[in-house]
Amino acid sequence: MRRVLPLAAALLVAATPVLADEAVTVPVQGRDAFSRPLPALDPVRRAAFHAGRSLFQQVWTVGPSEVRPDLDGLGPLFNRQSCIACHAKNGRGEPPEGESDSMRSTLVRLSVPGSGVGMAPQPHPVYGDQFNPDGIPGVPGEGRATLVWSERIDRLADGTPVALRRPDLRLGNLGYGPLGPEVMTSVRMAPPLVGLGLLEAVPEADLLALADPDDRDGDGVRGRVNLVWDAARGAYAIGRFGLKANQPSLRQQNAGAFDGDLGLTSTLFPQHGCTAAQTACRAAAGEGPGEDAGDDARPELSDEQLDLVTLYTRALAVPARRNADDPLVRVGEGLFAAIGCAACHTPTLRTGPSAALPELAGRTIHPFTDLLLHDMGEGLADGRPDFQATGRQWRTPPLWGLGLTAAVTDRPTYLHDGRARTPLEAILWHGGEAEPAREAVRRMPSLNRKALLAFLDSL
Amino acid sequence: MLPLSRRIAAPLLGSILMFGSGAGWALEDRVVVMTSYPDELVQRYEQAFERANPGTDLQVVWKPSRDAAVELAKPDQGGVDVYWTPSLGSFPRLRDAGAFRPLAVDRAVLPGVVDGQFVSDRQGFFEAFEVAGYGMIINPAALARDRLPQPATWRDLAATRWTGRLALPIAGQVGFSGALYDILLQAEGWEAGWALLGEAAADATLVGSGGQVSESVVNGEADVAVTVDFFARSAIANGHPVALVYPPRTAFLPAQVAIARAAPHPDAARAFVDFVLSAPGQALLFHPDIRRYPVRPDVYAQAPAGTVNPFQRIGAEPYAYDMEMGLNRHGLIAALFDTLIAARQDRLKTLWGAIHAAEAALAAQSTAQSTTNPDPERTALVGRARMLAGFVPVAGADVDRLAPMFQDRRSNRNPEEQAAMRKDWSARIDAAHAEALELARRALPTP
Ligand code: HEC
Ligand code: HEC
Repeated sequence: MRRVLPLAAALLVAATPVLADEAVTVPVQGRDAFSRPLPALDPVRRAAFHAGRSLFQQVWTVGPSEVRPDLDGLGPLFNRQSCIACHAKNGRGEPPEGESDSMRSTLVRLSVPGSGVGMAPQPHPVYGDQFNPDGIPGVPGEGRATLVWSERIDRLADGTPVALRRPDLRLGNLGYGPLGPEVMTSVRMAPPLVGLGLLEAVPEADLLALADPDDRDGDGVRGRVNLVWDAARGAYAIGRFGLKANQPSLRQQNAGAFDGDLGLTSTLFPQHGCTAAQTACRAAAGEGPGEDAGDDARPELSDEQLDLVTLYTRALAVPARRNADDPLVRVGEGLFAAIGCAACHTPTLRTGPSAALPELAGRTIHPFTDLLLHDMGEGLADGRPDFQATGRQWRTPPLWGLGLTAAVTDRPTYLHDGRARTPLEAILWHGGEAEPAREAVRRMPSLNRKALLAFLDSL
Repeated sequence: MLPLSRRIAAPLLGSILMFGSGAGWALEDRVVVMTSYPDELVQRYEQAFERANPGTDLQVVWKPSRDAAVELAKPDQGGVDVYWTPSLGSFPRLRDAGAFRPLAVDRAVLPGVVDGQFVSDRQGFFEAFEVAGYGMIINPAALARDRLPQPATWRDLAATRWTGRLALPIAGQVGFSGALYDILLQAEGWEAGWALLGEAAADATLVGSGGQVSESVVNGEADVAVTVDFFARSAIANGHPVALVYPPRTAFLPAQVAIARAAPHPDAARAFVDFVLSAPGQALLFHPDIRRYPVRPDVYAQAPAGTVNPFQRIGAEPYAYDMEMGLNRHGLIAALFDTLIAARQDRLKTLWGAIHAAEAALAAQSTAQSTTNPDPERTALVGRARMLAGFVPVAGADVDRLAPMFQDRRSNRNPEEQAAMRKDWSARIDAAHAEALELARRALPTP
């Protein structure tokens, strides 16, 4: 990992901008900036991409449907009825505004501490591993989830005030009784979805090479891979997707979203997530006591549908950078490296020779992530482990497309729960391994800060 | 806000036009809304309604309109409070089946008429919520680059050689295309309309999904496509360099809203209907990802720049599109499109190619000889070839007699009868086309 330069020197470092590979980036800047296919995408796959998009936009319906049996199967319990309900325009979600609002594009993961060997956390015995506010007719939803905000003023070294707000989770109208004192929760807002196929195509060996769990280079930045269950391979694999790198592949991530967020089964996840206590859910799912899953237990989502949606999420292009040559932006790019942001937000990766799509292979990409887990301090901690990730660790999010957030999303917010309203607020929340980088930003002369933010805005 | 007297009187009428629950009674804790709208629209209304009515949870039941009709026919109507959807044919049918309760609205703010078209229920059981028009999405820069004119009328679809740059929706596969083609056919006349569609389709790309029609122009696969307008308007609002053209003779057709007879949450149901018809609810239609036309003239003051106002359309020709007549025809149009165009596109291409070649040769000859009609005999042959190439096996006078047979296309109640008819159509079309091709080849001057 790169050494941290002293600040004075940083001013002189105007970086040569890292620029995009045209086969995987698109020069669009409007509200559709996160919705275009890879320019290199083969025409046949382009048609499949469009079919995948329509499934991604589809509102799934409570079965049975006479007209569209291919689009039924919602629930019994669910968060939302479509992928775009959370990933509107493939951009990030929005957190709830406060007490009287409710979560729409943000969800809550649940667990309780384990008791057996290894003490691995377990899903909540009654509510399962995700809070599902809604149920189909006849199945009580799990309740209402929202966030209430409290604000404090942080001051930068030069006295500039920055208001930081932190959320408190409220779970109300509980449909299945109290959650109990032991429950661990993780609030997660939907992240943007560009360039994911490229991230999937980065070789595992490269991620392992970036990892530095014991901080051998002594820069204070560690970075470790998450090891997660790969259901298709029946083995542990390196996690890349999800905010704690808790999913090994896009296909599993998507099947998991259909299962956990919409309530649709697939061959990868053939069982509904109803717990034993959720009898109406089990009855609606045909999983009640004495019921046999039966011979005709076709999954609600066909393999073909899952493959189309997966192709869609793999083939979303990355928006090209804007103003990368602007002198201020170049100074910001230099500072980004010099103060250690790039130690986690890795500017350049390469995809491997073989990838899920040939269009994705052998590309040099600039995602500004290492896909690794980092301890981000107590301020950002959710206290809920996820496979190897601790309650203080999060996956470095990619920063490509960051500057187009406001173009794509009505109310842009940042970080895993949407607490930050600007990139500067997001930086000021960095702690743990990122504390020195954050402090460097707090101490910066305002012109440098302006340059750093201009750089982020050019991504 | 309405005057106080109206606020008091309104509940007696069954509806008020106020936003929220201002009259002071508490709403139920939920309202169940059945719809087939895309989520980009539904989401925004759900969020805005819930934020305006804290304590009332909006539950969306998404159903294609035929599933929705089944639901509303159940004794408890599936627990649905409100039916809110773009499905022209459904509302009158459901009203006649007694599915709705009366829904009075204030005609001072909601005229119920757009572009000369009555879009709400004259009997007062359902109300228009928005309208969408039909036209063409084009890529002006690409057309200019290829020195092609911008199409302005339906006829321009056939008058210009688009050489593969035109995209047309397949009538049996794309939901909006029944109305689209019917508007064109009523505007141009049944026989002339089919002839122009056949000629245009000979060299077009046929597209089987609604969103893909505009998308093909957005992504450069085509430069012109016919479509319902909101796909094009939303693409423009999202920054794509495309434009929308309304032919002078087009129509704006409604999506509607109604309260179910057995609505378990009638107050919340009314609050929802009042919200979607209120000024803030109607102004949401201007959102870049929605872009449908409000039915309240007063909100056009807030319209984004460049918004056409269907209440005051400039350049429109007086054209009384008959919506009810059209509704009965969608199935027949789909069947004819299938037989005449989708199944015969290759043959149409050869046939129209021969006609265009003959016409070009005659035109070249007339320029060379500076006469208007140097070869009357060949001109007559091409004219006759054109007529036969545009042959449609159902005469205009027979349309409304045959339409009911095809109306319920998907359930296909009379498959043998339909199959026999299609076979007969095919035979007659092939005969006409064969003769047309023969004539066109004869019309081609021998070098
Ligand atoms: C209730 C909101 C919600 C819905 C609905 C939803 N998602 Fe997500 N999505 C999220 C959240 C939150 C995450 C982060 C998950 C985590 O950390 O495990 C996520 C992550 C993802 C990712 C990985 C992104 C990354 O950077 O790692 C993909 C891909 C994805 N979702 C696809 C889908 C698909 C496909 C659907 C529809 C089947 C869907 N999502 C539905 C909220 C949602
Ligand atoms: C130790 C690793 C690390 C370092 C160093 C680091 N970051 Fe981050 N960054 C993260 C992680 C992990 C998150 C996600 C935290 C969360 O969501 O709670 C994040 C989030 C962000 C976000 C919000 C992204 C989004 O999509 O919401 C921005 C912006 C950002 N970092 C910029 C910076 C800048 C600028 C620097 C240097 C001053 C920096 N980061 C240094 C790991 C790091």
